[in-house]
Amino acid sequence: MSKEQIFVGLEIGTTKICVIVAESRAEDQISILGVGETPSRGIRKGEIVDMATVTECVREAIVDAEEKTNVEIGNVWVAITGSHLRSFNNRGTLILPHPRQIEQADLDMVQTNAKEIALPPPNTFLHTILQAYHLDGNRNVIDPLESEGMQLEADFHIVHGVKTRITNHLRCVEALNLEIEDVVLSSLASAQVVVTQHQKDIGVLVVDIGGGTTDYLIYLDGAVRHSGVLAIGGDHITNDISVGLKLPIARAEILKIQEGSATDPDASEGGVITLKNDPGFLGCDIDRRSLGTIIHCRVKEIFELLKRDVENAGGDLLGLLGAGVMITGGCARLRGIAAVASDVLDQAVQVSTARNVGGALQTFENPQYSTAIGLTKYARLITKDSHPEGMLERIAQGFGGIFKRGSR
Amino acid sequence: MGVGNAGVTILDLLAVESPGKKGLLVVNNDPESLSASVVTERIAVPEGDPGEGFRAIDGEFGRAVSGASSVVLCGGLGGGSGSFLLPALAILAKSHGITVAACVGMPFSFEGRDKKELAEGALEKLYTVCDAVAVIENDRLSAGAPSTTAVGEAFTLSDRTLLASFTALHRMISTLGPVKITRSDLKNVLGIPGTRTFFGAGMAGGPNRLHEALEMAFKSPLLSAPGRTTPGSALTGVPSVLLLLQGPPDLSFAEVQMAVSEIERIAGESCQIKTGVHTDLSAGSPITLSVIASSGGARRPEKPVGTRVSEAAPETDGVPPRVEVLKAPPSVQGSSAQTTTTTSRKTSAKMPAITKQTQGTLDLDTYQRGRFDKSERTIVAGEDLDIPTFLRRGIKLTPPHRN
Repeated sequence: MSKEQIFVGLEIGTTKICVIVAESRAEDQISILGVGETPSRGIRKGEIVDMATVTECVREAIVDAEEKTNVEIGNVWVAITGSHLRSFNNRGTLILPHPRQIEQADLDMVQTNAKEIALPPPNTFLHTILQAYHLDGNRNVIDPLESEGMQLEADFHIVHGVKTRITNHLRCVEALNLEIEDVVLSSLASAQVVVTQHQKDIGVLVVDIGGGTTDYLIYLDGAVRHSGVLAIGGDHITNDISVGLKLPIARAEILKIQEGSATDPDASEGGVITLKNDPGFLGCDIDRRSLGTIIHCRVKEIFELLKRDVENAGGDLLGLLGAGVMITGGCARLRGIAAVASDVLDQAVQVSTARNVGGALQTFENPQYSTAIGLTKYARLITKDSHPEGMLERIAQGFGGIFKRGSR
Repeated sequence: MGVGNAGVTILDLLAVESPGKKGLLVVNNDPESLSASVVTERIAVPEGDPGEGFRAIDGEFGRAVSGASSVVLCGGLGGGSGSFLLPALAILAKSHGITVAACVGMPFSFEGRDKKELAEGALEKLYTVCDAVAVIENDRLSAGAPSTTAVGEAFTLSDRTLLASFTALHRMISTLGPVKITRSDLKNVLGIPGTRTFFGAGMAGGPNRLHEALEMAFKSPLLSAPGRTTPGSALTGVPSVLLLLQGPPDLSFAEVQMAVSEIERIAGESCQIKTGVHTDLSAGSPITLSVIASSGGARRPEKPVGTRVSEAAPETDGVPPRVEVLKAPPSVQGSSAQTTTTTSRKTSAKMPAITKQTQGTLDLDTYQRGRFDKSERTIVAGEDLDIPTFLRRGIKLTPPHRN
């Protein structure tokens, strides 16, 4: 058995369904073997509205990936987003009867304590991400295991969402007899590949603007400090263009991709864009400045909403970002988006794609794939973390055996 | 309890719309109106001097209300029967130790000055007796209605509104569970003479029911401060709000939270929100949301249309208190809600400076969601984010030029 392990990331996005098949490499690295992809139908704002159609789309994407990579896909890591997801930070505390060495059970206990918070009844926990341990007032202990102490505290970033919506998201994967390894917040997945560990340490805001949602996540001191989902994305820009310029949606989408720019229209040159006649569509001349205004207003608003949310989270997080803002997701390709973000957020802004990834180069240079690639990277990190025993142990537990290459 | 001709009409409407409703009672001194009523529990007051006729029914009334813990009186002021009977019955009910709430309609000014004075006198008496009083001013309701509005239509609107406020008050006072609005809450908001009261209600079903109901309630003309485009803006700065949510058993905790936080956002953090939740409707029925708020403190004078409520100064002379009540009744949510919304918009059209914004907002909600028309709304800080930003900001574009 080779030491490589295969991870499959599945992102059921508003615009496309994307399957990334990646192989583990040494030192937490991954290498992409191939990508399966289909356009999405039956999804609005990151959430499923037509189960049967989505299931079919997912099947097509999986088959596509299997054909391209010659890997039989059995287990997947699924990304999730949606406006119902909420997050907060909480601290768990455990006080031992007398000082002793901290055990794994204590760490589990302190995590359970942190989760003892009344969520709204329809909600369930999605992630409980460790920020830092504190032992007897000694702050930011990296690994308290086997240290001696009495009062163990831990800060967590907790993400929760409406249970039924999460399960609906998963149901169309389960319907295809795929095993779900884990469900991962989209922004958390993206962040794994678009920012470096150094950026996470000095503070960075990752913004993933997809078709239906804008997902964002703040890393500070190497830990997730804040996350959120805004149910606005590229679809909204397209819809705005369609409404404002009275164009069919498909036409508006093409216009956005070919000519769209988020730059402040006052600063750009005017002019006219001529759309040609099409069957069922009478050609027309579009005022470039109007197009610019529509896009600029929307993009600016997205960042304003995002800024307001981050400010409401308290702690002047924006002021602490040493590495500024990283924008990824399909919408990151919109011209001028970084400048608008920079204006609103008053930060250094870069458009970023997946990095530190090997394999099919053309794939990961597109910010559209950040989430799906990030899933595989996340999988790689988690798998290593929770199974320090190594691969053999994992296979013995009944996992991983399905990842046989060339079995098709 | 419907009192007087108008009261009988309204209870008839109620009885027809929700057959089988118990505890309805009509009282009038006009035998014709009584015999035509569909409500079976009736008390006829002998004609002639209201004082005497009234003593005659003391015993009968006492039996009718025995065992009840509260009574909601409903009628029109300014006429011959309601103006006398309502305060008298309120005193009578109070003497039985019952909580008394009243919702009354004030006459149109074209009905004559003496009617108006009679009504105002009666209203003052009501305030001294009742625990809670809600007043619908017909004048304000009709102020902005198109000039083509039929007379009959104007009266129908007034009746409908009265009925809606009546049912909401009734629900609030009947203190069903699981979360109750206490009577003292009700008294704090509606029992202070001279406060201006705002009222709105909405009803919606489906996956986004709460937002839709909230939006509908906020759009009630009397919840939108004149000249302000944001729905529900009349609530800004009020000291307390009563919120009643009624729905099927699956009404969720999160939905209640959402409603409260949305109202808190508009009203401000210092606002006390008293929430009542009734989950006694059958499964699958839509949720109904009613909001009542009072301006609190000193009396607000009736300012000319277009003055912001928040700017109105306290007044000390004898003008009676104004309480505005409006609700889109469930059964007529299509027609009536629309009519009343128009009313409010037209009202503000009298202020030229603000007219433009007002109209802009109206158009958006209905037509401009485009492909998101059927999807769940994304409402942040009162704005529907699915509507193109440039539309919400009122930015003009150059339209495409067809070849």
